Amino acid sequence: MKLWRVCALLVAFAMVCLGMSSPGIAEDTIKIGVVGPRTGGAAATGTAFEEGIALALDKINADKGLLGKKVEVVFEDTAGDPAKAASGIEKLITKDKVVMVLGESHSSAALAEIDVANRQKVPFIIAEAWHDDITKKNYPYVFRAGPCNSGVVNDSIIGFVKEYGFKKVAIFAENTDWGLGIKDLAEKALKDAGIPFETVLTERKGQDHYAELNKVKKFKPDLILAFVYGVGVHYLLAQAGEMGIVPTEALLLEGAGPPSLWDTFWQNVGEYGNLELFVSRMHEKVMLTPVAKEFDAAYRKKFNKAPSDYKSRSIYDVLLVAADAVKRAGSTDSDKLVKALQGTKLVVCSGTVEFGTKKGSYAYHQWQPPMLIVQWQDKKQVVVYPVSGKTGDLKRK
Amino acid sequence: MPLTSESVISFGNGNGFQAGPTACQSGGRAYYLRLERMPRAMEDLLLYVTNGVFMGTSYALVALGVTLIVGIMGIINFAHGEFYVLAGYFSALFARGVGLDPVSSMLVAVVLVFLVGLVVERILIRPTYGEEMYSLIITFILYIILQNAYLVIFGPFPSKPPSWVSGATNLFGMFYYGNQRLASFAAAALVIAVFMIVMHKTWLGRVIRSVAMDREMAAMLGVNTARVNMLSFGLGCVLAACAGVILAPVFPITPTVGVGISLTAFVVMILGGLGSLTGCIVGGLLLGIVENLGVAYLSSGYKHLFGFVILILVLFFRPTGLFGQKQL
Repeated sequence: MKLWRVCALLVAFAMVCLGMSSPGIAEDTIKIGVVGPRTGGAAATGTAFEEGIALALDKINADKGLLGKKVEVVFEDTAGDPAKAASGIEKLITKDKVVMVLGESHSSAALAEIDVANRQKVPFIIAEAWHDDITKKNYPYVFRAGPCNSGVVNDSIIGFVKEYGFKKVAIFAENTDWGLGIKDLAEKALKDAGIPFETVLTERKGQDHYAELNKVKKFKPDLILAFVYGVGVHYLLAQAGEMGIVPTEALLLEGAGPPSLWDTFWQNVGEYGNLELFVSRMHEKVMLTPVAKEFDAAYRKKFNKAPSDYKSRSIYDVLLVAADAVKRAGSTDSDKLVKALQGTKLVVCSGTVEFGTKKGSYAYHQWQPPMLIVQWQDKKQVVVYPVSGKTGDLKRK
Repeated sequence: MPLTSESVISFGNGNGFQAGPTACQSGGRAYYLRLERMPRAMEDLLLYVTNGVFMGTSYALVALGVTLIVGIMGIINFAHGEFYVLAGYFSALFARGVGLDPVSSMLVAVVLVFLVGLVVERILIRPTYGEEMYSLIITFILYIILQNAYLVIFGPFPSKPPSWVSGATNLFGMFYYGNQRLASFAAAALVIAVFMIVMHKTWLGRVIRSVAMDREMAAMLGVNTARVNMLSFGLGCVLAACAGVILAPVFPITPTVGVGISLTAFVVMILGGLGSLTGCIVGGLLLGIVENLGVAYLSSGYKHLFGFVILILVLFFRPTGLFGQKQL
């Protein structure tokens, strides 16, 4: 056996791994850690995060950085895996010596990370992991400047269902922390509203949904709440279309957002994408604040395209929140940063960030951005909810 | 009969076996077979079994490649799913980027993956012959490198070659089933049939099976076993590639989708019996049907668990799998 070949491959493998990690960090910088999936099924989020980080660093460093130092980001891949996430944030804190950690978009990973951040007493601001328990644990070092399941369901989805008078709702949820958490909340809200519903669970990594969708079809809903993420949205929508469920018998509201905006969405779902609804923090024509306009212009200039995956803006917002806290604290001391974060009142792309400070619920250290419900109408995005922000009427077949 | 959204299958109209058109939800014309109005429960069962057969056929096609390589070379190829993904990306690239028609893009993709397979066998696998652990490590590292390479080269977004046909067909007047699925099922079944004929009825198949049965005796009779190994590995990759190009129009490709493909292939292979091609086909169909029935009548949240449960049950009663060993 030629052992050298195996060794050469191992070296090559190590080099690939090294190539995916961040470069060395100079000493005269302030280091901020970011956690999120750069590989795995939700690697698209990692790409969006990278874009948002680049834009935020341009802005922050153009303003002379923080405390007279340049800001650098160390981006650790979690691949959506709780074990990898826990070791990743531990590495950021203990080896890279970051002053704060931001990001994440998987609830399962975030629930593992918050324990580490709290134990290490390093502030951690979640951007896009929605499970209520992340802030419900009331950890002093954990914040969330992004959507939570309760906020999305109670502030947006149920209001939408009532506003448009849907009669029967099917819930189609993946068996993850996020999927099961938001499913429970939707069930409770629908029950309280007196709207009949039926729930069908599916595996996160499942590709084929015909058997599950037949259960949905038998229930004859006029709306399907789809709590699945990533390419699963494309599989589900295309198969529901083939089975004659959407959009003829029911509309489908996708509860995550970005997969409906990915470049390959129409290629993968074809005609069945028309009239699909999705929850989003961003719309091409809705600019909630001047910062949103600034972001939009900077994004187009840097990447020569329009922003699509709203998670680039989510991480951008969170980085601005972190930079603002460091500035006001005048220090990188963790406790001073926590105090500064609690006093945040900062305008970002999605609105004005103010964290809840009353303990006892998920609202502690939580800021819920306003969410839009958007419908694809002939490949154009039309905001249909909230009513105050409508850019067109809801369409049904 | 070719399946298109314009002209679909014709069998009956709900009163015995009279044929007649009806509106298809894709906008074309659909025909259907309905013996008599069946109870809803039976209609559901028919859908689950139909879908199970489709999924099972795709499982079998993927697993045949793994089984061939295990049977001939005694090597577990952890990167098998990555060859499936590569073929899916190639077919999408040649169809959408270069502008080839779907059939040509699929053929080019399969040939390219075959060549990649030959190169991998020559450079990485051949030096590990006789050292099973090294071959395991090599293919495991290859799987990680390829997965990350796909992420860098093709990006994280799901990619799909153009569908061969659009719309759906109302099967038996009971439920709609995607035309692309039906076409992919037919193509997968055809590839499996051709492969089985080649393996059992041709000189090439006899040579390959002779090496699987007794390598030393085959070598003594003049068979170049190193070349057979290389060809078998290439053929295994071709089967993975065929599955990739046939299924990518149904299930878009992502850089990580190969993990599940490989895992399912291993389950099917063990279920059918290591090295058994017939076992692979039966195991694939069994897994597809069991998964669908499990989702339908037990719980939809644990689809892949049913596969492992059936695997444990089969191994408990037949430790060598359904069709034992070395039926090549």
